[in-house]
Amino acid sequence: MQATVGKLLTNRVLWRGAVSIVLFLVLWELGSRSKLWMAHDLFTPLRELLGAVGLKKDYLPWVGAVPAPSAVFAAWLGVIDEAGYWQSWYMSFQRVLGGFAAAMAVGIPFGLMLAVSRTAHGIGFPVFEVLRPIPPLAWVPASIIFWPTQELAIMFITFLGAFYTIVINVVGGARSIDLRYFQAAQSMGASKWDMFKRIVLPGTLPSIVVGSAVGMGITWEVVVAAEMISGGGSQMGGAGGGLGFFIWNSYVGGSYEQIVVGMISIGIAGYISSELLRSLGRHATPWLRVR
Amino acid sequence: MEAALRMGAADDAVAALRAAAPFQEVSEGLLQRIAAIARPARFKAGERIYSAGEATDDIYVVASGRVEHLFKREVGAREALKRVERGGVFGWAGLLLGQTRRLATATAVEPAELLRIPTEELVKLLESEPVEGAAVMDRFGGMIQREFTVPSLLAQVRRLSGAPLTEEMSRLSLTLYRLSLWLKSPRPYLMVIGFALFLGFWYLAVEVWRLPRFKEMPGLTAVVKEWVSPNPTYGLSLYTAEYYQHIWVSVWRVTQAFFLATALGVPVGLLLGWSRKFKEYVFPVFEMLRPIPILAWVPLAIVMFIATESAVIFLAFLASFFATALNTMLGVQSIDESYVRAAHCLGAGRWQVFRHVIIPGALPFIFTGLQISIGVCWFSLVAAEMVSGQFGLGYVINTSYMMVRYPTIVIGMVTLGIVGYTTSALVRLAGDYLMQWRVRELALGER
Amino acid sequence: MEMREPAPAAATRGHILIDDVVKVYDPEGAAVMAVDHCSLEIEPGEICMIVGPSGCGKTTLLNAIAGFHEITSGRILLDGELLCSSELPKAQPGPDRIVVFQNGALFPWKTNLENVIFGPVMQGRLQRGEAIDRGRAMMADAGLAGVEHNYPGEVSSGMRRRVEIVRALMNDPKVLLLDEPYRALDSLTKSVMHEALLEIYYKNKVTIFFITHDLEEAIFLGHRVAIMTTRPCKPKKLLTVDIPHPRDYSVLTSRRFRELMEETNEAVHEEALKAFQAGEKEG
Repeated sequence: MQATVGKLLTNRVLWRGAVSIVLFLVLWELGSRSKLWMAHDLFTPLRELLGAVGLKKDYLPWVGAVPAPSAVFAAWLGVIDEAGYWQSWYMSFQRVLGGFAAAMAVGIPFGLMLAVSRTAHGIGFPVFEVLRPIPPLAWVPASIIFWPTQELAIMFITFLGAFYTIVINVVGGARSIDLRYFQAAQSMGASKWDMFKRIVLPGTLPSIVVGSAVGMGITWEVVVAAEMISGGGSQMGGAGGGLGFFIWNSYVGGSYEQIVVGMISIGIAGYISSELLRSLGRHATPWLRVR
Repeated sequence: MEAALRMGAADDAVAALRAAAPFQEVSEGLLQRIAAIARPARFKAGERIYSAGEATDDIYVVASGRVEHLFKREVGAREALKRVERGGVFGWAGLLLGQTRRLATATAVEPAELLRIPTEELVKLLESEPVEGAAVMDRFGGMIQREFTVPSLLAQVRRLSGAPLTEEMSRLSLTLYRLSLWLKSPRPYLMVIGFALFLGFWYLAVEVWRLPRFKEMPGLTAVVKEWVSPNPTYGLSLYTAEYYQHIWVSVWRVTQAFFLATALGVPVGLLLGWSRKFKEYVFPVFEMLRPIPILAWVPLAIVMFIATESAVIFLAFLASFFATALNTMLGVQSIDESYVRAAHCLGAGRWQVFRHVIIPGALPFIFTGLQISIGVCWFSLVAAEMVSGQFGLGYVINTSYMMVRYPTIVIGMVTLGIVGYTTSALVRLAGDYLMQWRVRELALGER
Repeated sequence: MEMREPAPAAATRGHILIDDVVKVYDPEGAAVMAVDHCSLEIEPGEICMIVGPSGCGKTTLLNAIAGFHEITSGRILLDGELLCSSELPKAQPGPDRIVVFQNGALFPWKTNLENVIFGPVMQGRLQRGEAIDRGRAMMADAGLAGVEHNYPGEVSSGMRRRVEIVRALMNDPKVLLLDEPYRALDSLTKSVMHEALLEIYYKNKVTIFFITHDLEEAIFLGHRVAIMTTRPCKPKKLLTVDIPHPRDYSVLTSRRFRELMEETNEAVHEEALKAFQAGEKEG
């Protein structure tokens, strides 16, 4: 234990990372508090300059409007106690996992079908490629019209977000399986189904893992957006809840520190889910670890 | 030692050429042109045509008679001695790279009537017909390998050099050739089937069968009618100026965000990949900010930027920036170490390596990253427009929903798809243009 | 092939002294010894072939001379100057010792000619115009006229190898370091490449340090052949090939060649067997 702690302390990489994060936080703090220190006479020329360029004089542009890390941290401590905060976590996670699971359940078979059968590929891929450039969020109104409940509508959007990525990765992965594996299997008398089960599936697994990690990131983007859109501003009616809604609500309610708390929370939540996925993936593909 | 001969009509020359392996499948027009530069020559039995070591000048095609062709030992042919008769071609050493001397001695054993074709003129002629010319050279190569039993010389057959004109033509003919292949395959027809199924289902489900959830949706005919009507019910169609205004606004925003993100993201990514110091300082902060979904920044962006326009562009920029920087970094990291080592051996300094090895080497990855980045840019832009925009395609979709103008929603979506695809394709084309070497390499691989 | 001109005068530079070199990877951890007190002296202008089974550490030796790897102890000198030692474990890579890589390292994004002139232009030794003229001439000499403006990806692998060698020779190096350059070529192309290499060598006397696992290639090309033990690497047997230069492919079937093969075959086979049983990974 001593040795590892010692190693950690002397690790140059860790030190440099720590230094830069601390520096980042310090600059942020100073920038946010610029209203305070810029009021001092020393900074009059700076204020004149900002005014001349057309920006607001009293604080540093952009950064000056952001709440300070210290304030954010204080707000966070306050929010941890509230049940509503953790409820938001739960609801967002639920949507993410639901949509993501659906995307995997539909996307992987669809992708495999496209990869394995030339005819299916010829029919399905062009339509897929034509629909892909349409951003998932553009589907929100259509989705709300179509699905009976708000919840299903949001899940459909999250499904779409991850679906495209997973399919592309599955098709790419299946296609790049070395032809010789198939030839070897054939010479050993494997049937088509055997080959599918024992070559195509495991061979595509690494691509599925990569695709799902990326897809997971997109899913979070979409969930947050959908929650913000349905909770805030428009008449789409509130299913409410979720971290996206938490952020929007904080904005509307004027507690800017909570906005940042929400942002960081989502970042952490997204990171956790990606890591979970990655370790699941490592378990499923032990042969890749040898590298 | 030649005697000028009347070979009868030029048809005899063409027939003699046609009998030769390399010219068998050449078009009539090209064959006539080759015949035009060919000169007849006649040799007596036992007469020496040329000796090994002499300078190469003409290629010989046998019209009649018999010639004995003996390779020098050094050439390493499996059978050094070859008898050449009508339809045979010899004296082709000039077609090999860097070869200026005869590889063999050629003697007529029976009275022979030959056609002499000056090598360089033939090459020029073949270069003027790039597709056919390349085929002829291929056949020469095959002939050298099989009939003259020197497969090792196959690799030395000259490639017709690409003068700019022929380069353009060969690219065009390559594309046309690929197009014709594509049309002959089942793919275009399957594609049509796919679209027919999709559109057909949409049409039937909404407007004919009126399935439970589907009947609320805007139907295919309703959308199309609206889109192409000069006087649309809901105000937006191909004929209205407003339509193009919205498109322009969105495109202009994406352009700004994308260029900013590229200008900042590529250098940052290059440095992250190239300098370990830089990476250790900067990457932790980068990775801390990256997981935060772009749209979670929306309220903060509204707070930070007084004008909504800047906020929207900022959001699109942010998403693009992360994607570009990350992919550029991966690109630098994936460059084979041998290239860097080779550059060091050749005396290149640090910045020279960066400019001549790192940047071109990472370029393929950078462009893949840029294609992803522009997709992400559109994604974020649309979301931002939907939440807080005035004008733009995202705004159109959102307000159309709120104002119950359903067909317009679909028009907006379809337009987004088209515009998004076009910008992505533009990025890809830019990449192809900058990386000629890769395009050619990939093209050769497909043969 | 062209008539051979008489060989130029003997070389005076490119003397390599490898003095008791040891290389241990990860000294505080797994402590894998790759090179074990290896000593070897190579004369100026000599073609020295290094033969050994895969994974035995011969590439480590080459990398130490080139300046890509550090050595743990010992010294390496080039023409009396110190390249690396225990105090200065890593040599500086430079144009006096140029490597020709196993899988080729021609820059795919530059044309063949641009590759060839890269060295002198980067070092500032030649103006671009002069470099182009010289490059063209050297390429023509090596039988590469006509592919100057093609990209490496467009020409055959045998041709790429030759371009890479020309690229190296443009810098007037003292030593050429070749790491199994013909490993990936088929044997027909290989035999042509061998003769091409010798032709080039006869015109530009450089020291050649050539790693291979092919004994036939080694005896055909080399003045001397050093057979290395499996890891850790050390010269097991040094053989002088007394077949006179200039050589051509007829040497392959000469009696002396066969005799030399017999002498060395057993030594090589022994080491190959050891490597096989130890499960050595290549590379």
